[in-house]
Amino acid sequence: MERKWGKIWGLIGLLLLNFVNNVSSLSLTITKVECVYEIVRSEGDIISGNFVVVDHHIFWSSDHPGIDFSITSPGGDILHNLKGTSGDKFSFKAPRSGLYQFCFHNPLSTPETIAFYIHIGHIPNEHNLAKNEHLDPINVKIAELGEALEAVTTEQKYLKARDAVHRRTNESTKKRVIGYTVGEYILLTIASVLQVVYIRRLFSKSVGYNRI
Amino acid sequence: MSGNAKLRRSVMFQAVLLVVLMLALSNAPVGDAIWLNVPPTGTKCVSEEIQSNVVVLSDYVVVADDHGHVPTISAKVTSPYGNNLHHKENVTHGQFAFTTQEAGNYLACFWTDSHTRGAGEVSVNIEWKTGIAAKDWESVARKEKIEGVELELRKLEGAVEAIHENLLYLRDREAEMRTTSENTNARVAWFSIMSLGICIVVSGSQIWYLKRYFQKKKLI
Repeated sequence: MERKWGKIWGLIGLLLLNFVNNVSSLSLTITKVECVYEIVRSEGDIISGNFVVVDHHIFWSSDHPGIDFSITSPGGDILHNLKGTSGDKFSFKAPRSGLYQFCFHNPLSTPETIAFYIHIGHIPNEHNLAKNEHLDPINVKIAELGEALEAVTTEQKYLKARDAVHRRTNESTKKRVIGYTVGEYILLTIASVLQVVYIRRLFSKSVGYNRI
Repeated sequence: MSGNAKLRRSVMFQAVLLVVLMLALSNAPVGDAIWLNVPPTGTKCVSEEIQSNVVVLSDYVVVADDHGHVPTISAKVTSPYGNNLHHKENVTHGQFAFTTQEAGNYLACFWTDSHTRGAGEVSVNIEWKTGIAAKDWESVARKEKIEGVELELRKLEGAVEAIHENLLYLRDREAEMRTTSENTNARVAWFSIMSLGICIVVSGSQIWYLKRYFQKKKLI
């Protein structure tokens, strides 16, 4: 009898193995529109995620209007719509199961790179078990704990992507400071040398003595 | 009567096992993945910035289109230094697994083959797991003979360790960036003062040179 219960625990454990859906944080390059699809297996699952625009080739600020982002449910309604963002987080409950569409739209023609992470979390509840099964409250609690840890991981992926963007900005600032300052020195020297040459020419012999 | 009750109980128990097994199999990792549309011309690439010594596990399947016909795609995975980690042509599914040697941007590209082109976009189901998500929990369970609640708690412990590592990584990156920022800050101050100094030196030498030149020309 003990071994049978052990087998049941093992199978329930395997069941729970599949309840925490996970996708690693990926980067996509968007030229016009790129869509990512995810299957949500049961209604009431929590869809959470974030995205960050990594590749802002901005020369002066407010050059790029940002990326438009939208989430479409399998029924066709738009659940979430953001215009002109450089990154955002989202978290909502799925109204129904099916294929959800996450679309990024780039209004300009320069390609942008987006780092995104989508996580679908499921907590087992009474609705999706067969008639003869019992829901052990400890499994629910463990699933909730797992979901809380996934929320922390999701936040960390967002922070990592933002850190990468910040690092790019910093390195670009460092290069600009050195490049533009040295260029400024050289241009200043050249301008003053040209000034001197010009004044010399003004006073050269071809000009009459009484002119100046 | 007791024999009948025992028989009924064992049949019920087997039914429960069967139902649980079916549920477990029906939840098999098909939904663990994202779907992408590969355009008929050009390649679709996904990339990820991964540190070194991280296990990467990936599985891709081409989804049959409306006519029931399954188009084939080609896939290529490159490391940040350009090494080819996985390359397959004309397949409908494939998988690759590797441990990263160097830290950097790992790129996985998909494109449709020339003979199956023309139908439009091909849907590919990609399952991409790195680090803790790629850990084989079944072999850990078998090796250490744990199951059920203990296995779940072990998974939670693994997730907490991964969070801790990520936090340390973020802290190190923040420290590096603080150093860079402070450097840039100091440089801006120094370069501005130096530019003022150069301006004064250059204009001073201009005046000195022109004065000497006019004195030579006996105009002053």
